Amino acid sequence: MTGRETNQAEEKLILQSRLSEIAQLPVWIESLSRRHAIPENVEFAINLCLEEAVSNVIRHGYGAGAGGSVIVSFNRTEQGLFVFLIEDQARCFNPLEAPAPDHSRTIRVGGQGIPLLRHFTDKLEYEWTPTGNRLKLFFSSACPEL
Amino acid sequence: MAITTEELAGGITQVILEGRLDIENSPAVDTRMKAIAGDRNSVLVDLRKVSFLGSMGLRALVAPALAIQGRGGKLVLFGPNEMVTKVLKVSGIETMIPIHHEFQSALAALR
Repeated sequence: MTGRETNQAEEKLILQSRLSEIAQLPVWIESLSRRHAIPENVEFAINLCLEEAVSNVIRHGYGAGAGGSVIVSFNRTEQGLFVFLIEDQARCFNPLEAPAPDHSRTIRVGGQGIPLLRHFTDKLEYEWTPTGNRLKLFFSSACPEL
Repeated sequence: MAITTEELAGGITQVILEGRLDIENSPAVDTRMKAIAGDRNSVLVDLRKVSFLGSMGLRALVAPALAIQGRGGKLVLFGPNEMVTKVLKVSGIETMIPIHHEFQSALAALR
């Protein structure tokens, strides 16, 4: 079963492991932004990072396998950070271990996703559990400066 | 996402993108940009109305740029908003595709 579940402490979006499901993300994020006063630039960063992280799970984690799910949960810390937790049951993949980009080399098509995740979040936390991957993305109310 | 083209003086093709360059819309943009890159050598990609740019959208910009540059042609990006500009800079795209925020400087770069 996919769709939205809400309660006061946490909000959740459950997606099936198909790329077409990612179209639900911007609508859900926009709704969160209205209700939690997320600044526009931070909303952009959240859209960017969740699209990247969830598409990576679907394309590389689940691959051609069908029937999996990706659960995206939202919460706020006491310090006011916006926190998104992405949980899946795909094969182990830690984006924090991806190599940093080398811009001294010719830019190629593709490969910019993980650097974007690193730059546009305040913090990333990854955990591999017996049930799958857990990636937590933290966003402050101020977007990072270049 | 809407994609329109205008032919400007000097053989410059202006490609106007409007909407979200996200994973859902990027394939259509990719297809159209490949067709344009196939036979144009001076392309100005107008990003003023692009509200979002994700990593799949970057591919739709990089691939045609490489194709055009490989033939000795030029492609420039014009008018990205603040956040789209940040995505372009963080991804390193600006090291290979010039970004202009003034229309006349974008045109001059293609002449």
